[in-house]
Amino acid sequence: MSEETDLNVPEPTQSIPGLGVSNNQGLLQWISSVDHKQIGIMYLWLSLLFLVIGGIEIMLVRTQLAVPNNDFLGPEAYNQLFTMHGTTMIFFVLTPAIFGFATYFVPLMIGANDMAFPRLNALSFWMTFFGGFLLYFSFLAGGAPDAGWFNYAPLNQYNYSSSPGINYYCSGLLLSGIGTVTASVNFIVTILKYRVNDMGLKQMPLFVWMILINSFLVLAAFPSLNAALVMVLLDRQLHAHFFNAVGGGSAILWQHLFWLFGHPEVYILILPIFGIFSEIFPVFSRKPIFGYGFVVGSGIAIALLAFGVWVHHMFATGLGNTVNNFFAASSLLIGVPTGVKIFNWLATMWGGSIKFSVAMLFGIAFLVEFTIGGLSGVSFAIVPIDWQLTDTYYVVAHLHYVFIGGSLFGLLSGLFYWFPKMSGRVLDERSGRWFFWLFVVGFNTTFLVQHALGAMGMARRVYTYPDLPGWGILNFISTAGGFLMAIAVGLLIYILVRAVRSGSKAENDPWDANTLEWTTTSPPNLKNFEQVIPVKSTRPFRDYKRPDDADWNRKEEYGK
Amino acid sequence: MVNTSLILHWHLDVSTLLLAAIFIAFFYSVTRFKRQRNNKLFAGVIILLLLLLSSPLHYLAMHAYFSAHMIIHVILLLICGPLLTLSLAGTDHPLLNRLSRFFNKNIWCAWITGVGIMWIWHIPALFDMAMANHGSFAPVFPLLQSGSLLLAGVVFSWPLLGPEEKLHTHALSGIVYLFTACVSCSLLGLLITFAPQGTYHYYHMGGSGYNPWNISHIEDSEAAGLIMWVPCCFVYLSGCLWLLYRWFISGSGVKLNNVR
Ligand SMILES: [Cu+2]
Repeated sequence: MSEETDLNVPEPTQSIPGLGVSNNQGLLQWISSVDHKQIGIMYLWLSLLFLVIGGIEIMLVRTQLAVPNNDFLGPEAYNQLFTMHGTTMIFFVLTPAIFGFATYFVPLMIGANDMAFPRLNALSFWMTFFGGFLLYFSFLAGGAPDAGWFNYAPLNQYNYSSSPGINYYCSGLLLSGIGTVTASVNFIVTILKYRVNDMGLKQMPLFVWMILINSFLVLAAFPSLNAALVMVLLDRQLHAHFFNAVGGGSAILWQHLFWLFGHPEVYILILPIFGIFSEIFPVFSRKPIFGYGFVVGSGIAIALLAFGVWVHHMFATGLGNTVNNFFAASSLLIGVPTGVKIFNWLATMWGGSIKFSVAMLFGIAFLVEFTIGGLSGVSFAIVPIDWQLTDTYYVVAHLHYVFIGGSLFGLLSGLFYWFPKMSGRVLDERSGRWFFWLFVVGFNTTFLVQHALGAMGMARRVYTYPDLPGWGILNFISTAGGFLMAIAVGLLIYILVRAVRSGSKAENDPWDANTLEWTTTSPPNLKNFEQVIPVKSTRPFRDYKRPDDADWNRKEEYGK
Repeated sequence: MVNTSLILHWHLDVSTLLLAAIFIAFFYSVTRFKRQRNNKLFAGVIILLLLLLSSPLHYLAMHAYFSAHMIIHVILLLICGPLLTLSLAGTDHPLLNRLSRFFNKNIWCAWITGVGIMWIWHIPALFDMAMANHGSFAPVFPLLQSGSLLLAGVVFSWPLLGPEEKLHTHALSGIVYLFTACVSCSLLGLLITFAPQGTYHYYHMGGSGYNPWNISHIEDSEAAGLIMWVPCCFVYLSGCLWLLYRWFISGSGVKLNNVR
C-alpha cells in the first residue's frame, strides 16, 4: 500500500530491521516510517519510556508516604507528582501500549499488508508522542499540572492553580486525544475493509473484534474530553466561565464531561486486554475459545453500558437520591458482561492441556487480580459505601487492581506472547518467570493493604498523614511492595534489552498458535504476506497445520 | 390510604378508544385478519394500549407526576410500537412493501422519526400545551401525543422488525442504529433530569394539585429524566444484544462457537 507514494519519504525497501536502528538509514528510517509494524513498535517503546518516568514519579510519592509526618516532599511537589503519575500511566503508558499492539497486529491478524491509512497512522503516533512530551515540558515551563489526573474544577481554574501546568495538561492531552481518535478511525476502516477475502466477521480473531468495538468507544468518548479540555483552556486563557461558578458556569459540568469520557475510558483500556487474553487462553490451553459469540456480545454490551453509568463517579457531589439510585442500579449491571467473559476464559481453560508460559501465567494472575478489582468496583455502586470510601485509598487500591491487575497484566501477557513475532528473538522464559513472580508479589503487597487503609479512612492525594494506629506500618508495607515492583520493572527492561541484543532466534510459530500473524516470518517482512492461508474458522492456522482435525469440518461443537 | 383509592382510578376516554379504532381499522385494511399469530399479537398490543391509557398510571401521569407520564411514553414508544410492527410480520400489502423498501433505502428517516417525535413532545411549550388540553371533551392533544409516539415506535422499529425480512437492515448496522438512538435518548433524559425547576410548567404548578405520594417537583422531574435516560438505554441495549444473537445464529451453518 505504501508503494503508491508521490512524496519522497525514505521508506525501507528490504526487510524490517527487527528492533534496532543499525541499518543504512538509522533512526531516520524509524522517524519517517509509515509501516504499521514500525509504528506499532515505536508506540511500545514510547509506552515503556513513560512507564519508567511515571514509575519514578510514583516511587518518589511512595517514599514520601513510607512513614507518617514525612517531609521528603512538600505538598506542591507531591501534588504535581501524583497528578503526572496518573496522567502519564493512563494516557501515555496504557493507551500507547494498547495502540501499539493493535497497530502492529490488527493488519497481521486479518491478513492485510498495512493499515488503511498509513500516513494517518504515523500522524496518530506522533500526535501521541508530542502530546506526551508537551505534557512533560510543563516541568520546565514553571510547574507540572497539580489537580489530579481528572483535573477537577474549580481546582483547574486559574485562581486555584496559577502555574501553567494545567495549560500543558489540556494541550498535551488534546494532542494525544486527537492521535487516539485518528488511530481509531484507521482501525475501523482497516478492520471493516481490509480483511483477507474469506475472513467474515464471524471468523475474525477476538483481539481484532475488541479493537473494533474499542475504536467505536473511542470515537464516542473522546470528543467529550477534547471539548472539555478546550473549555478549560478557554476558561484559563480567555476568561471564559464554563466551569467558574462565580461567572455563571458550573464546576459539576466538568465532572459530567470528564466522566462521560472517563468511564468509557476505563473500558477503552480493558476491552483490548480482553481481546489479548481471548487469543492467549486458547493457544496455551490447546482449545478453541469457549463461547466466541458471548465474548463478542459481552464486549458490545460493555461498550454500550459504558455510557449509561458515568454518574457513579459523582455520587458524592450531591446530585440527590433520585439520581444516585438510578445510577447505582445501572452500575450494578455492568459487572454482568465482564463476569460472562471471566467464565468464558475459565471454560476455555477447563479440560485443556495448559502450558504455563509466562504469557499464560499473567493470564491466570489476571483472572484473580481483575476479579478482586471488579468486586471492589461493584462495591462502589452501593451509594452509602461509595460515600464512605470515596477519595480514600480504597479507591486507589480498586483502580490499580483494574489498571495493573487488568490492563497491565494483559499487556505484559501480550508482550511475552508476541515479542518473538515482533523481534525475531525469544524472551527468556526463566527470567520471565522471575519477573512475573516479583511483579505479582510486589503488586499485591503494594495495593492489597491499601483497601484496609482506605477503610480506615486514609484520604488519597494528601501529602502526608498523622501517626494513627496501623497507618504507619501499612503504608510502609505498601511502599516496600512498590519498590519490589520497581525492581521487577528493572528486570523486565533487562530481559527485553538482552533479548533484543543477543536473544536466540525465534521460530515463526513458537507457540503452535492459531491466527494469521504466526504464518509469516518472525519478524515479518516489509510486505506482511505474499499469500494468506484459507480462513474457514477462528483458528485458520491450526486448521492449516492439522487439516484432519480442522475446526471447520468438526462434527461436534465445542462448549456444549 | 389515598393509594387504595388510586387503584380504582380507571378512566377510559373517547380519545383512547378513537386511537385504538384507528389502529384496528388500519390493521384490518392491510391484513384482513388473515394470520392467526399476527392477530393474537395485535390484539394483545391493543389491549395493553387500552389498559395503559385508562390505568391509574395514566391518571397519575395526567394529574400528578411527570415521571408517570414518562413511563407511559417509554412503554408506547419502545414496547407498544415495536410490537405493533411485529404484528405485521410477513404481511404482503403494496403499501407495507413500499414502506419497507423506503425505510431500507432511507434508514435515517426512520431514525429521525423515532427520535425526533420523542424530542418534539418534550419541548416545554408544546408539552404544557398538550397537558393543558387534556380536560376538554375531545382532547385532541393527548390523542395526538399518544398516537404519534406509538407511530414513532412503529416507524423506528420498521428497519429492524418490519414485515419484509429481506429488507431488514444488517444486524451490525442495526446495533449502530439502536446505539445512536440510545445516545440521543440519554441526551434528552439528561436535559430533563438537570432542567431548572419549572421548565415543565404544568407539573411545576402541581398538575391538578393531586400528589398522593408527596413527591417533590424536583424529584419527580429528575425521575422523569432518569427514566428516559437509564432504563430506556437498557431497552435499546437489549435490542442490540438480540440483534447480535440473531446475527450469530444466522447464515449457513454458523454456530455460536463460530465454526463455518
Ligand atoms: Cu466508572
